[in-house]
Amino acid sequence: MSRPSLLGFLLIAPALLMIGVLFLYPLGFSLGAAFTAGGQPSLTHFEKAFELYSTDILFTIFVVVVSTLLTALFSVLIAGVLTLSETPWLVAGLRALYRWPLFIPFIVAAQCMRTFLAKNGLMNNTLVATGVLEPLQATSFLDWRGIIITFVWKQVPFVTLMLAGAMASIDRATIEAGRNLGASRPRILVELVLPQVAQTLLVGLVLSFVTMLSVLSVPMMVAGSQPTMLTVDMAFRINSYGDYATANALGVISYALSAAAAWIYLRHNVKREVQA
Amino acid sequence: MHKSVMALSFTAALLALPAQAQTLNVATAGDQNMVDYIKDYLGPMFEKSHPGVKVVAVGTGPGDGGSQKIYEKLDAQKKAGAAAVDFDVVVIHQKAAGTMVQEGLLNKYRDKLSTGKLVTRDTATNSLGADVSGYVMPMFHSQTAIAYNPDLVKTPPSSYVELRDWAAKNPKQFGYNGIKGGMSGVAFVTGWVTAFGGDAAKLEAGPYDAATKAAWDKSLADLKDFNKNVIITPGNAGTLDMLNRGEIAMGPVWVDMFYTWKADGKLPPNMRLKLISPGMPGQPMYYAIPNKTAQEKLAAEFVALATSPDVQAEGIVKRFNWYPGIDAKNLEGKLDKAAWQALFTDISPEDLSAKGKPFPIGPYFNDILESYEKKVAN
Repeated sequence: MSRPSLLGFLLIAPALLMIGVLFLYPLGFSLGAAFTAGGQPSLTHFEKAFELYSTDILFTIFVVVVSTLLTALFSVLIAGVLTLSETPWLVAGLRALYRWPLFIPFIVAAQCMRTFLAKNGLMNNTLVATGVLEPLQATSFLDWRGIIITFVWKQVPFVTLMLAGAMASIDRATIEAGRNLGASRPRILVELVLPQVAQTLLVGLVLSFVTMLSVLSVPMMVAGSQPTMLTVDMAFRINSYGDYATANALGVISYALSAAAAWIYLRHNVKREVQA
Repeated sequence: MHKSVMALSFTAALLALPAQAQTLNVATAGDQNMVDYIKDYLGPMFEKSHPGVKVVAVGTGPGDGGSQKIYEKLDAQKKAGAAAVDFDVVVIHQKAAGTMVQEGLLNKYRDKLSTGKLVTRDTATNSLGADVSGYVMPMFHSQTAIAYNPDLVKTPPSSYVELRDWAAKNPKQFGYNGIKGGMSGVAFVTGWVTAFGGDAAKLEAGPYDAATKAAWDKSLADLKDFNKNVIITPGNAGTLDMLNRGEIAMGPVWVDMFYTWKADGKLPPNMRLKLISPGMPGQPMYYAIPNKTAQEKLAAEFVALATSPDVQAEGIVKRFNWYPGIDAKNLEGKLDKAAWQALFTDISPEDLSAKGKPFPIGPYFNDILESYEKKVAN
């Protein structure tokens, strides 16, 4: 017989207030500014956003989707090795190394990549010095490839951390049963382990997707501005024109992209619950 | 009894505190070097001549965005009816200066200033078409130019037309940062539109006519073609980085950044500059004093020191490689010949006055940027 408790409400009130003041109010305000012009409901800001930034919207979707897929690939590989490998030094080495990028802020990562990936940067110079590459073959990665490399480098440890934890907690008996029946380790990873941790992988990827969508420093510092990601366009709209309305419209477009990711996640979740 | 005496003396001490330690809050837009200039050079000098005063420098970020933040803060405090605003001296770009004067956020202080008469450049009265006469003192003037590597480019182009042809013959050897990565790219683009798009005088002085932008279509289409032969660099510093690593041979830069990077060893010493015709834009940064500052007198004294010939010679020209904000003839004798000539080796004073252009007035400036986004970038 539970009844609404005043004490319980008081306990969560500070949190609710924070969400209301610092998130819901600005969100409502920005939605309002995006959909009105001169006090009247209007879509002019969206027309402008598409007219000026349609390429950038597609570019943003491309970069974030490719980065998410690559992040998935690499984190499954690393987590798989950590869980299934029988080579102790490899596991120990990977375990020690893979978390490092987690502690490096995006802006620092971007600054490092800026000199690392340049045409005559550290990476190409090393390849040339070791004879792998001819100097004339060296190309600059300071474009969409640079953004994707930085994003994947930053997000793989995060997803791997979640995934390796989930893999460690599944029933080892399933893996051992697979081994006993002669399944190879890649097959065990794909057919036995991954299905059991798919939920965790999905959560990690959705969070990464939303994070990458919101990063300003990386596209700004790593790549030239044509084309560029929506965050840079939003900053430019505000800094150069003081135009919050179009910036808000671009913001709504990014909410929509995040919402699409959240929808995939929720749909999957509901399906599982129905099955269960 | 004892307690009340203590409380009383404590209150007295609190009341006396503001009179003893005055704080002058200086908010500056621009890159970190602007904050450093005030924090490390100007501030300590002012504190020495005004015992008991503390100068606090706050940076609000590079480019027009930094000035926009200062504007938003002052505007918000005015709308909230604040008795005194938080900034005593502000250092701002041209676009924000015009807006802030029009909205009555600034104090008309220049005529009362001892150094007010040393200013001759027309940017002190006209800020991108807005009349700012009396409200601002130019801190320095900075200029964009084309930097090039003489090992790779024997005879640099001397005009936008020659540059266009050069880039077609030497693909991927010219680099600039578009319009979202800093003002050197913006300067290159507005210079391009002024050079190929028609009426330069109208763009610089007005009056504004919204139909003018239709005349830029050809020049913007050409710019789109030109962009196929160039590299878009990540930012003002990105262009200099790529010049330094030999990845591009030529690109637009800020003259002061160019010299500072060279002095720091971040650019090869043989790099040169060329100011191409019909001209490239430059801009001043302004010292302004907000209305309703609590430290009006102190703020005016601070600006007077900052715009005195000695400080302009030593701080602005010699240390930071900017062109002086006050008329350069006031600096004669304050600077050794080497420092003076270093600033004018590649770009002579005649070149500077003939080809150093202001940015287009506010509405044209925005039109150029937006037309670029619409017709070149997207």
